[in-house]
Amino acid sequence: MIEGFRLGVFSRGATIWDGLDFAFGDAAAWLVAGPPSSGKTLLLSVLRGERRPDAGDVVVSGESLYRGDASLVRAWRASCGHVAEHATADGRLTVGDLFRRSAMAGGGVREGERKERADRLLEMVGLPGATEWRVAELSISERVRACLAAELLRGPKVLFCDGVVAGAGIPFREMLRGLFRALAREGNTVVLAERAIPERWALAAGDGEPVGPFRVYRLPGPAAAVKGEPG
Amino acid sequence: MSERPSLWWIDWRLSRGPLVREATGRFLFFCLLGFALLSLILSGGAGRFIADRYAITAVLRTEVPQAEAEGLARKVAALPPVRSAAYRDPEVAWKEFLRAYPGMEPLRGAGGNPLPGYIEIRIRPERLTGADVRLVTSALRSVSHVEQVLAGDEWLPRLLRAEHIVSWAFRGIFGAFLAGFFLVCRLQERARAVALAGDFAFLAERGVPAGRLAFFRAAGAAVSGFLLAAAGTAAGGGALFLSLRTFPFLENVIGPSYELILPRTVAAAALFSLVVALLSGAASLLGWMAARSRRK
Repeated sequence: MIEGFRLGVFSRGATIWDGLDFAFGDAAAWLVAGPPSSGKTLLLSVLRGERRPDAGDVVVSGESLYRGDASLVRAWRASCGHVAEHATADGRLTVGDLFRRSAMAGGGVREGERKERADRLLEMVGLPGATEWRVAELSISERVRACLAAELLRGPKVLFCDGVVAGAGIPFREMLRGLFRALAREGNTVVLAERAIPERWALAAGDGEPVGPFRVYRLPGPAAAVKGEPG
Repeated sequence: MSERPSLWWIDWRLSRGPLVREATGRFLFFCLLGFALLSLILSGGAGRFIADRYAITAVLRTEVPQAEAEGLARKVAALPPVRSAAYRDPEVAWKEFLRAYPGMEPLRGAGGNPLPGYIEIRIRPERLTGADVRLVTSALRSVSHVEQVLAGDEWLPRLLRAEHIVSWAFRGIFGAFLAGFFLVCRLQERARAVALAGDFAFLAERGVPAGRLAFFRAAGAAVSGFLLAAAGTAAGGGALFLSLRTFPFLENVIGPSYELILPRTVAAAALFSLVVALLSGAASLLGWMAARSRRK
């Protein structure tokens, strides 16, 4: 369980938000929707233990991230995956390099195993045979999907995705929804930050809970989705 | 998968091509530096060259019997600074004199050979100091069989001072090359840290402490620096060995090839490799810090 208590962030000379409470349960996919410049990326970095909030605290499995031991934050970050909105555009890197460094962050995976899993993951996100492609030459959609696949290589317990659904584009939305559901079913937690929830997802997830400038949705599992979704 | 990723050889795992190029360049540089270092150790700068040409001559009294003169030469040879002490009898001395001054045969008239025997003493290159020369000459002067000791007392201090300056100049040049290595190494490490900044930020974001990254990078640089220096010095030593065997006249200036495997030579090479390891580690840390401050 990831909980944010009375979170407040002060940035660019103004209070972005203050006194917000969040609770993201385990083994579920969550979507935080908010308008541009509402602080979604900031919220994810606060939840990831990357940026100390100016007010409040984040508690993970009952332990404070910002008032506790520094090693706890490191362990928490090590268990998290993160796909940034502006995924890397390092001209030197190939898609295969993304997997290599992801494997390194996860403690190392044998090369043969890494390649095999990378091929499977790339195929899953619609990028078969992209290992040798340069990241700088990919479209935004391809880049986002390649980064997501690379993060999944480590099997993170918690996955934070910033603008991934919008970045991947409409043709890949349902594939991503299936992927997030599968991850949640396997006991992982997925937290998405998006400007808006896709319409079909909203139909299944309901109205969501308003929290400050955001609306927080819990994406239902397959059974609930079948019930909630027309057609 | 473990929560603490192994960061050993992280640069190698992230960026093999540039690292191979750097390592090849460093190895070749250490081959040259190793050659120079071993030449310097064996030759003692200009010490061996001068020691090879400098000799103390103990002129014996004419009445000293050959057996006693040879016994005295053996005793002198046992003195710690002495490399060799050889007795030359009056006949040999006369022949040498004639070789040096042809046409002086008439000097040997009815009175016979006018020259006395003498002992030629050569000093070990590493012991060619004013104090050691004084030790030998004072020991010789106290012997009643010795008529005169010729040790170049007037010009020896100047010669030793010149040798000292030349030796330190050689060491200074070697040190300058080592400092140059450190500066180039630091620039390379910094460039690599900048190039890999994205990867390091990625790892830091995923819970890998920056300090740990810097430590393991420096440790990797130190270990690889040690191995490269050791391999380069060994290769340089091999080249020096072959050079000394192929061109024996070099032994007069540098030293005999068997000295390459003496414990003190091996210890000096190991010390050099350790110094390179320390410099490599420090260059890695400084390069890392410079790259980070540039990002800030």
